[in-house]
Amino acid sequence: MSGLSVGMFLFLVSVGMSLIFGVTRIVNLAHGSFYMVGAYLMVTLVEVLPDRPWAFWLALLLAPLGVAVLGAVIEVGLLRLIYHRDPLMQLILTFGLILVISTLVLLAWGPDNKSVSRPDALAGSVRIFGQPFPSYYLLVLGLAPVVAVGLWLIFYRTRWGMLIRAATVDREMLGALGVNVAALYTQVFAFGSWLAGLGGALAAPTVAVALGMDGDVLTTAFVVVVIGGLGSFAGSFISALLVGLLQSFGILVFPAVSIVLLFAIMAVVLVVRPWGLLGRPEE
Amino acid sequence: MWTRIKDAMCGVSALMIVAAAAGPVAAQSKAPIRIGEINSYSGLATVYTFPYREGLLMATKEINDAGGVLGRPIEFIFRDDKLKPDEAVKAARELVGQEKVDFLAGCISSGVGLAISAYAKEAKVLYIATHCQTSRLTWDDGHKYVAHTTNNVNQYVRALAQKAASMRYKKWAHISPDYEYGHNVWEEFSAYLKQLKPDVEFVQQNWPKLGETDHSSYVTALLQSGADAFLSSVWGAQEIAFVKQARPFGLFEKVHYFSASVGNPDELDPLGKEAPVGAITPGFAWYDDGMQKRHPKLAEWVKKYEARAKKEPTLGASWGYASAYIIAEAIKRAKSADTDKVITAFSEGFEMEFPWGKVIMRGCDQQAIPPQWVGVVRMNAQGKPVLADVEEVHGKDVIKSCDEVAKLRAAAAEKKK
Repeated sequence: MSGLSVGMFLFLVSVGMSLIFGVTRIVNLAHGSFYMVGAYLMVTLVEVLPDRPWAFWLALLLAPLGVAVLGAVIEVGLLRLIYHRDPLMQLILTFGLILVISTLVLLAWGPDNKSVSRPDALAGSVRIFGQPFPSYYLLVLGLAPVVAVGLWLIFYRTRWGMLIRAATVDREMLGALGVNVAALYTQVFAFGSWLAGLGGALAAPTVAVALGMDGDVLTTAFVVVVIGGLGSFAGSFISALLVGLLQSFGILVFPAVSIVLLFAIMAVVLVVRPWGLLGRPEE
Repeated sequence: MWTRIKDAMCGVSALMIVAAAAGPVAAQSKAPIRIGEINSYSGLATVYTFPYREGLLMATKEINDAGGVLGRPIEFIFRDDKLKPDEAVKAARELVGQEKVDFLAGCISSGVGLAISAYAKEAKVLYIATHCQTSRLTWDDGHKYVAHTTNNVNQYVRALAQKAASMRYKKWAHISPDYEYGHNVWEEFSAYLKQLKPDVEFVQQNWPKLGETDHSSYVTALLQSGADAFLSSVWGAQEIAFVKQARPFGLFEKVHYFSASVGNPDELDPLGKEAPVGAITPGFAWYDDGMQKRHPKLAEWVKKYEARAKKEPTLGASWGYASAYIIAEAIKRAKSADTDKVITAFSEGFEMEFPWGKVIMRGCDQQAIPPQWVGVVRMNAQGKPVLADVEEVHGKDVIKSCDEVAKLRAAAAEKKK
């Protein structure tokens, strides 16, 4: 069960990364930083808002939006300038963003560890199959599939989703058809950042909000995206579950090799299907 | 890839911090005694090193305002080690080679401390380790070019084990991060507990990796272990996550929680109302009534520190403060900043009084022996978690003896052959 909820966090973060890559072809290394900013914003919002039960939920709504705005600003101000450059340049830029964001977080929030309390209603645990299970994880278990279904509806049932799918296939053609591709990129980047921020905001009550949480999540999210296939949403979902379960059970069954196991699976996937489980091979 | 990112990040912030930290030193006519201070001033360790540096600079200012040491001011030249032994040694070489510092000091990471110590031995420079805690520094891997001005793992873990032995618990489990520190703590704790109370049983072990964020499976394992009590040596952000994840399972009500570090404010403050009430843990509880009664000068020191740092002090702040004074005292006793003479001063040993009690610098291993405190986590009247019922044991009553240290060194030397 806890493996499932870990998988759900990973899904939220990695699907945003995958989405951004699918449309803009940018491997956003700063995605973990967006996750961290989401968690830090959550801390500040919970502190600032009055001490009422609804404050937590309002913060959970606002924190990811703040990250989305940050994502949009970064896309317009920086990434837009380098879409046509060498992919290496893009990597260097998003590398740089990690350093800048982490230094800014240190300056803005200071070096101390922070933490957000769970809302009282979800502070305890429920019994499932006779085992205690933290009720906060139920929220995560419930929310992630809602996001997944929501994504599916957006992509396959709305015009905007259709444009995004079109952009992943052929952006030049889409531009030629009169679609404002630049605006679409900004929207997608902001949306992907929102997902990372949501992951961070949701995770905040279960961990310490601290410097360095960006790197931990980036590595795992990256593995998830690579296993699932860059740009594939269903792939992200399946591989996030796989990695989440592996992390929870792996340590019980093979404690010594559980870290290696994760990367070993990634390596096998890369050898057998270099484009990931559900990805599409590059033409 | 991530390490490289971190590297670059640390580089950027290191420059900023060094510029900010080198700070003004009271202008005095004589050339200063210069100490190269290598520590982790960027990234996740800053939660410990920033208060430490405040304490160090506070003491430096006091010493210099009072006329310095042998009429010379002391000056610390700060370098960021990025939590990496190789970076630390690079900084050490630069400080000794280009900056011509008289001594080296610093460290928060044990790995860094051991690496600088190895360099100091080879370069014949005196290294005063200040903030890391591994016992190996002055024991197994000890030599005359290293002195250690703060607590080592052996002392506070033994103080905690002594408390544990006085309670009724027989069956023990543990959760420790799977790297040197975690293994070190568990070995020291379990061995000393067994020595004091031979009928204890160790029923279950948990070794999450360092920095693990999901501990649910370990929590379940601890619940099913049948243990009466468990020791945790996970620390910092990881222990906060562990506590938050274990609470909903009711772990702390079922198995008594002993922790090597949860009583420190960097963990208690963010945990707030989720703090593990009842946990038994070491910590620097300067706010405790008993502490302030035993140490009448403590309250005034705290006030001075807060005026300067605009923050409440931490254990690390007291260590930074003590370290500067201990270094100054050794130079004073040597009547010179000459490396060999200062080493002689350390090897003869001395004692100093601090606002929190007596610190013995033991000659045989050049290891500091401070007072140790163990308390219980409770909520105060304002609903803030604090350490209460603080009991004090002096390190000298629990620490391994000089003979035992000599045996450790002999065994380590044998191993190297």
